[in-house]
Amino acid sequence: MRKTTFLGVIPLLAPVQLLLLCVVILPALYVVWLSFHLSSFGQAPEFVGWQNYLRVLSDPAFRSAMWNTVIIVVVAVHLEMLVALGMALLCNSGVKFRRFLLVAVLAPYAVSEVVAVAMWRFLFDLDIGPVTLALQALGLPVLEWSYEPSHAMIMIILLTIWMHLPFTFVILYAARLAMPADLYEAARIDGATRLQCFWRVTLPLMGPAIIVALLFRYIFAFRMFSEVWLLTGGGPARSTEVVAVYLYQEAFSYNAFGTASATALLMVIASLVLASGYIWLLRRQVKNAR
Amino acid sequence: MTRPMQMNRRGFLASATGTLALLAAAPALAAGKVLNILSHRVHQAVLGEGEGDLMAGWKTANDADLAFTTFDSNPLMDRLFREASLPETEFSLGYMVDNRPTSDIARLFEPLDGWQEKDPIADFADLAPGLIKGMTIDGKLIGIPVRTATQALFYNEDLLEQAGFTAPPATLEELVAQAQKISADKIATGMVLASDLAVFPVMFARAFGGDFLTQDFRLLPDPAAMEQALTVLAGMFADGSLPRSYATTKNDDQVTWMQQGRAAFTVLPFARAAQLNNPEQSKFPGRIKAVGFPVTGGLVGKTPMAAVVEAWAMVIPANARDKDLAWSYIRQVSSPETTLGMALNGNGAARVSTFSDPRLIEKNPLAAIEAEALANARGAFPPFPEAARAQALLLEEVQLAVMGRKTPAEAVAAISERVAPLLP
Repeated sequence: MRKTTFLGVIPLLAPVQLLLLCVVILPALYVVWLSFHLSSFGQAPEFVGWQNYLRVLSDPAFRSAMWNTVIIVVVAVHLEMLVALGMALLCNSGVKFRRFLLVAVLAPYAVSEVVAVAMWRFLFDLDIGPVTLALQALGLPVLEWSYEPSHAMIMIILLTIWMHLPFTFVILYAARLAMPADLYEAARIDGATRLQCFWRVTLPLMGPAIIVALLFRYIFAFRMFSEVWLLTGGGPARSTEVVAVYLYQEAFSYNAFGTASATALLMVIASLVLASGYIWLLRRQVKNAR
Repeated sequence: MTRPMQMNRRGFLASATGTLALLAAAPALAAGKVLNILSHRVHQAVLGEGEGDLMAGWKTANDADLAFTTFDSNPLMDRLFREASLPETEFSLGYMVDNRPTSDIARLFEPLDGWQEKDPIADFADLAPGLIKGMTIDGKLIGIPVRTATQALFYNEDLLEQAGFTAPPATLEELVAQAQKISADKIATGMVLASDLAVFPVMFARAFGGDFLTQDFRLLPDPAAMEQALTVLAGMFADGSLPRSYATTKNDDQVTWMQQGRAAFTVLPFARAAQLNNPEQSKFPGRIKAVGFPVTGGLVGKTPMAAVVEAWAMVIPANARDKDLAWSYIRQVSSPETTLGMALNGNGAARVSTFSDPRLIEKNPLAAIEAEALANARGAFPPFPEAARAQALLLEEVQLAVMGRKTPAEAVAAISERVAPLLP
């Protein structure tokens, strides 16, 4: 058999590496370079050192956006995980109408984000929204999402969970399907209750899948833009603005490319810090599995 | 016997090459030249199409076709400036809104004074002088005005009659009273305004003789007027004359609310009249009318209302490939006959004489009112590098005041404190 050398595989790998270099690495390096410059249309970039970072970090709007992002990410991702886990176990429990349930959970992934947000805006419209009218008819409080900042945050969290549930669900459902049935049979013979089966068998074995899903969702959720931009636009009075919306405004409304680039890098750092606990757990699991 | 058609590798390659060659040659077969244009959809629409194509003669005479790439306002400006920042662009013409050209931006575009001297636009003096001034940056003319959008007060005559009003409001106080009664009688919401545009608080401030930022960069020249404006808006929100969803209402929502009869009043450009009364979209075709925005009672007959006007101009990027063709297009589009044609298609004219043309008056009953409003109109604020950020700060404070989270006085003080450092 012919021995594969490093030089021999380079031509095979080069196209992909070149593509990555062009569409990921070079633009990323450009953003780093830009973050140290004052730059806008019609201006030659001017080196300003850390000034862009200081300006962003000292901006109350950025700190508020970062705080909003952290709240939405932490609450939405964990609630979504619980719902997805519940749905995965329910679908696996031999419940009736399983196919209907699967379609209901997966359907949001087939809907475009813009359409989904427009639909939610209509459903929860404060004057004519069917959900609002139904809540009023039942004498329940309505979600005043365009007036009350806390209600707007709840609305964004609900929308995010609904839109991204399919992703988390698919990972957990696949992990649950891959678990051998004889483990449960053995547990039952040993006298384990349903709850004990869940704590001692299901949860430990689904742990790696849960961590992977959480990690991905943390990183994706931190980039959240369309839900907020299309639903509230960051309002009322910038009270629901998230970091991605702040970045968009800096880059495309104010044409301040330096501060926008600095915001982007701060966003990457913050999402890594927030997800670091799960990264550490994942590394430990990988190490233990060896 | 017929042989079944088989595709071999050679045949496939030949067909693919032929198809690609045809596709590549298609534009050349269609017309000798193509003028690539960056614009809003509305700029393309008002030029007409098919038999009503106002540019048909120009296309034939120049053996050229037009290729429009259209965007919404903000993405359009972003793409236009991006293209103009490149070493060369295939977009030889763009449409720019008048609150964007700062000195830095203006340098990206071709000065047009030389072109006007060499190959002048017909009856250039008829183009509104104020609009020409707005496109003259550092002494250089960089754009030829083509569209104006003057804000008007639209009202639903049907809803007003249901509330017992026989005429639209003549003063700001009457406007507020009518909106309050219509809301209180549960006929509809009194007024709908978007919360993401500076136009509306600026209109209310001007109705009291104030402003946000003057053309010579005086911030809040009359703070009391802005405070009165915010007090009125906050009062309307508190009593339900403005919708509870005010903070998330957008420009398009204003149109649908009026078309559906959910609101009795709104502020939109005159050119929206056709859309608001379109029988295919509106529940009240022919019943949604417009007047100039009223001033407060104390200023009637003393200070005319300075409505907000937004103007668009045609510009040529300095790095454009085909400036000759672009200038030829500008000359044609800004000619008196094309300006009238576009006005008949719903475009706010940039020529003064167009508004008094009998053909426009016959088709558009609002032409005379629009001309009157335009005579005193000015932009919401002048262009400067931090204008977009200043607008965002203004809107944030206005929203806080309208929703009752700050008093109007606190909001006005905050506007003054936060916007001042951004001014040139």
